[in-house]
Amino acid sequence: MITFQNVTKTYKGSTVALRDCSVEIDKGEFVFLVGPSGSGKTTFIRLLLREERPDAGRIWEAGKEIGNLSKWRIPYLRRNIGCVFQDFRLLPNKSVFENVAFALEVIGRPKHVIQSQVPQVLDLVGLSKKRDNLPGELSGGEQQRVAVARAFVNRPLILLADEPTGNLDPTTSLGIMRLLDRINRTGTTVVIATHDAGMVDQMRRRVIELDRGSLVRDQARGVYGIDSSVAAAGAGSPTGQGVEVDGPSERLDDQAPDPTVAEV
Amino acid sequence: MAVSATYVVGEAASNLWRNRLMTIAAVLTAAVSLALVGSTLLLKQGASHATVRWQQGVNVIVWVKPSANPAQTTEIKQALAQNPYVVSCAYKTQAYDYNEARDLLAADEFQSLDLQSMPSSYRCSLNDPLQATEITDQFQTNPAVSLVSSPTQQIRTMEGVIRVLQWVFLALAVVLLLSATVLILNTIRMAIYARRREVSVMKLVGATNWFIRLPFMAEGLVQGFLGSAVAVVAVLGLYFGLGLNVVKTAANQNSLIAQMAMGGWEVAMTCLVVVVVGVAVGVVGSAVAVSRFLDV
Repeated sequence: MITFQNVTKTYKGSTVALRDCSVEIDKGEFVFLVGPSGSGKTTFIRLLLREERPDAGRIWEAGKEIGNLSKWRIPYLRRNIGCVFQDFRLLPNKSVFENVAFALEVIGRPKHVIQSQVPQVLDLVGLSKKRDNLPGELSGGEQQRVAVARAFVNRPLILLADEPTGNLDPTTSLGIMRLLDRINRTGTTVVIATHDAGMVDQMRRRVIELDRGSLVRDQARGVYGIDSSVAAAGAGSPTGQGVEVDGPSERLDDQAPDPTVAEV
Repeated sequence: MAVSATYVVGEAASNLWRNRLMTIAAVLTAAVSLALVGSTLLLKQGASHATVRWQQGVNVIVWVKPSANPAQTTEIKQALAQNPYVVSCAYKTQAYDYNEARDLLAADEFQSLDLQSMPSSYRCSLNDPLQATEITDQFQTNPAVSLVSSPTQQIRTMEGVIRVLQWVFLALAVVLLLSATVLILNTIRMAIYARRREVSVMKLVGATNWFIRLPFMAEGLVQGFLGSAVAVVAVLGLYFGLGLNVVKTAANQNSLIAQMAMGGWEVAMTCLVVVVVGVAVGVVGSAVAVSRFLDV
């Protein structure tokens, strides 16, 4: 579904955001992209959204190479990708329903499709009762649910999330993670850039770690900040107080908090 | 690309209302500049009416009697060619002069003319316009020549004044048109800036650039159109205010205004030009303003 082949991206001022990065993500995978600030996570996401172009290397997404995609095709690429951000990016003067419907309106979906799909996806994220509220009347977690609903309402092949729980407390974050996990189980490929160690450790999904633009770790069922040899011993969560995570991920009881995650 | 008209109109209307002060500023600037463009065109039109005979450097006209035989005509032609002051001459037929008379003369005067009695003419440009009197003296006595005419001082002065005025008006109009364009551009940019979240979300979920651009272009169209509508009113005010709609008669045909008088369709054309320029400035200005925000 997503393939990076020797991708390098350098910003002006010669900051290397990604260096010779090669990675492959299959359809239906659930992947955490971890690493400290400035490690290249956001660049990774922006490349996938085609907000940036790689300086070298090639990127395939949903079977198409997107590096040389012509400008007018970009909107059509983005219709296959849902995206969620730390700051929610909801429109404050539109209600929950309108915010989600907006994503369908601007790509020209007919009214009856909007009328049937939006309630469905609001039901999925558990906000059916708040469909007429404005984002300002919702909690952070609820706002992020609206954002997830908006990203998913068009049934994209890929769902990207850039620090989706960065503004949320651990319990709320877990709810968002569960939601993303549910969406993943509909077959949608999910990629989450985060430095929320607790979440990563609890979910035990594939972890790709970046450090100063280089891919330093790619591990199935990984944890946040531990190298592979230690990871085999497992890790617990310093934040999630034993909350159940549904899904195929397994949880280990050993506690192995990592000092490097202190910045979280 | 399915962009519904109701969406475009609705978005444009709400934008215009939200930024109404800037909209008014842009419309007024467009109106003033377009009014100047229109007035310049109108005066230019009038001036060309008054001086149509003396265009393209014609300094002297030798009118040949309709009764002149071919030999006499040739003789005049050769004499003109040999004259040291004459640079070139153009021969105009009776039919041409007849048509010109219809444009230039008052209706009641023209009534008394017919094609057969019209003179043909040689219209000559001189290397020194002051030597027109020499030509007059030389040909006035020729039996085949009915009249030799050269522009009077009055027309020369008027031509000069109008030429200067035209340039002044044109320069003003261009400067104002530029500032109107910049203001419209700025209005649109503010409108987009106020809605940058919305635009970024639109881009995020895959709205095409045209979908985002069209409402703003519609907004520019409205601004340009309103501005040109005000300008049209001003142009019509000038037309009727100066009395350029008078019918030329024997009584008033020596007045400058009557010389410059023109028909309704010429004013209509001027107004059409004003509207087209106004709308084009609005639409193109907006498209440029939006494109800078749409760069991926």
